[in-house]
Amino acid sequence: MRKLQMLIIVLLCFVMTYSGLNRLAYAEDSTNSAKKTIVLGTSADFPPYEFHKVIDGKDQIVGFDIQIAKQIAADMGAELKIEDMSFDSLLPALTSGRVDFLISGMNPTPERKKSIDFSDVYYRANQAIMVRKADKDKYNTMDTLKGAKIGVQKSSLQEEIGQKIEGAQLTSLDKISDILMQLQTNRVDAAIIEGPVAQANLTDDFAITSAVPQVEDYGYAIGVKKNNPELLNSINATLAHLIKDGKVQEFVDEASSMVNGQQKTQDTFSFFLKYKDYYIAGIKYTLLLSILGVIFGFIIGLFISLLRMNRIAILRWIGVAYIEVLRGTPMLVQLLIIHYGLALTFHINFTALESGIITLSINSSAYLAEIFRAGIQGVDKGQMEAARSLGMSSSQAFRHIILPQAIKNVLPAIGNEFITIIKESSIVSFIGVADLMFQAQVVRGISFAGLNPLLVAAVIYFIMTFVLSKLLGVLERKLRTSDIH
Amino acid sequence: MISIKNLHKSYGKLEILKGIDAEIEKGEVVVVIGPSGSGKSTFLRCLNLLEQPTSGEIRFEGELVTDKKHNINLTREKMGMVFQQFNLFPHKTVLQNITLAPIQVKKLDRAKADEIALDLLRTVGLEDKKNAYPAQLSGGQKQRIAIARALAMQPHVMLFDEPTSALDPEMVGEVLDVMKKLAEKGMTMVIVTHEMGFAREVGDRILFMDQGTIIEQGTPEVVLGNPTHPRTQDFLSKVL
Repeated sequence: MRKLQMLIIVLLCFVMTYSGLNRLAYAEDSTNSAKKTIVLGTSADFPPYEFHKVIDGKDQIVGFDIQIAKQIAADMGAELKIEDMSFDSLLPALTSGRVDFLISGMNPTPERKKSIDFSDVYYRANQAIMVRKADKDKYNTMDTLKGAKIGVQKSSLQEEIGQKIEGAQLTSLDKISDILMQLQTNRVDAAIIEGPVAQANLTDDFAITSAVPQVEDYGYAIGVKKNNPELLNSINATLAHLIKDGKVQEFVDEASSMVNGQQKTQDTFSFFLKYKDYYIAGIKYTLLLSILGVIFGFIIGLFISLLRMNRIAILRWIGVAYIEVLRGTPMLVQLLIIHYGLALTFHINFTALESGIITLSINSSAYLAEIFRAGIQGVDKGQMEAARSLGMSSSQAFRHIILPQAIKNVLPAIGNEFITIIKESSIVSFIGVADLMFQAQVVRGISFAGLNPLLVAAVIYFIMTFVLSKLLGVLERKLRTSDIH
Repeated sequence: MISIKNLHKSYGKLEILKGIDAEIEKGEVVVVIGPSGSGKSTFLRCLNLLEQPTSGEIRFEGELVTDKKHNINLTREKMGMVFQQFNLFPHKTVLQNITLAPIQVKKLDRAKADEIALDLLRTVGLEDKKNAYPAQLSGGQKQRIAIARALAMQPHVMLFDEPTSALDPEMVGEVLDVMKKLAEKGMTMVIVTHEMGFAREVGDRILFMDQGTIIEQGTPEVVLGNPTHPRTQDFLSKVL
């Protein structure tokens, strides 16, 4: 028991230093520059527009959209901060005020215009049809694509093109690397991808056909929150002089040359070595999230189980409602409500990491509460009576007699829940916490490898859960010493 | 020392105790006998409020323990209880079982609590088991530890709820011996039991209960040897 307390203290110290360091970093930011910061939202998996690249051993987000963003910030005299997240999260991030503007190869479609404003168009790209090399001649005109299975990026211009092709079955996915995986594994016949992106992703397996999709192109524009003419005008002014000076095309060429030469197929292990910095950074967040999720989930779960078993009916109902709602709704929805919903309705802006920790904690607390309840109710009634008959208060009896036995009885179930938390923490990659899953996706974006980044992540998850289950086994055996006859 | 007035206890419509009046004097050994379902265990458990009486009064050393404002924990410190199923704490060693309440409730330091515990372990003849866990003990040993655990709080009265009913026959003797020694030292004891020989030998007074009331009481010679009530006679004819 003492060792357990020590462990918890050590962990809390670890957490505090972690958050302390963060605060320090922020403080430094504000002292270095009295100037304001402007936050860019982007989905950095779209080379050559925006993508991750290791430069001088450091992971950076680069691309020609980023160049434009830097110019905008410079013209405003502001410091640029980049928030990387999934493409689907960009609009809610902007409307909830988490980011100030979006540059992410985004088309100013009428749907999007309903919720946000767009700048002038800064770039128009051609579209391309990408197929497996063997099919290069099979799909040489747009007509040949009728009835074909086609991969596109979700809610993109390419999706609209695909929808207009007669009889085409569309597969809409989040990431280009996923679409290429579908193509490579014969799940789709062709992919509609933007010209520069298709060029960047062209490998020995694929080819670009001579079919040219004709489309009323929206071009690319920068998204800002509605009713913010000041920011919009400033952005448009920057764009105007970039376009006039021919800088945009220069940025495109520069970014395209950065993309080239990244692609090589490798075995999984050397692949891991090459990108290990990404994974190690991700492991840190996954461990931090899991440990805090476990600790807070444990404490909250215990509290909820006591509510759930309370003599007072209203407290009992609160406990039941808490458990049922959290168990009965998807964790992803809970995450998005906490991260975006609270920001939109109550202006409670948690950082992505905070939202992730909160979601994991309360979600696991609901499951742990039921596990604790089973454990507590499984302790013989005579134990409480014996403790009370010795003059112990009910809380003393609970702490010294009931709880240790309850936890011992349900330790395997608790261990299961801990392992689940480690795996389910991967969901936070959705809101841009750079955990292991997120980094695996980043590596997919950089390396253009479909499977290897995920295999590496799977192995790391497995090692973490396996070590944990072994540790719990040791703890279980230790606690069982009192059962030996 | 304990005075019980018109004690009633019901579970819903089922009435277990139908008005009990009794006095327990200091230093007295009172043995409660009666057929199963007569309410004798419930009566005993009402004394330290493990069962909340439906109505009636219980006074312990002058204090009204049935008063809602009374802190029952203080009374329980002075009323040791021994259970049929021992109820030792399985996750604690023998020594920890005995010292937990003195340390937590009486705030004794560990050294002092250990000293008391070892003394008691010697009394019950189990000093060598101090570091064992309950699962490693026989039933008789467990019950002797349970007695030592209750005594460690230095109670003024000991309540025994069928202390030998869950034991194998060959272990009954060792537990009764410990209880006998305790009685000889002048401990006030209330014992619910089916051990008639023990009741006759150690009891100062026998209470015979049936259907939630005390039917007959008196010295062992009178109640066991020459009962006046037909239900007592009937019961004794079956068990003796």
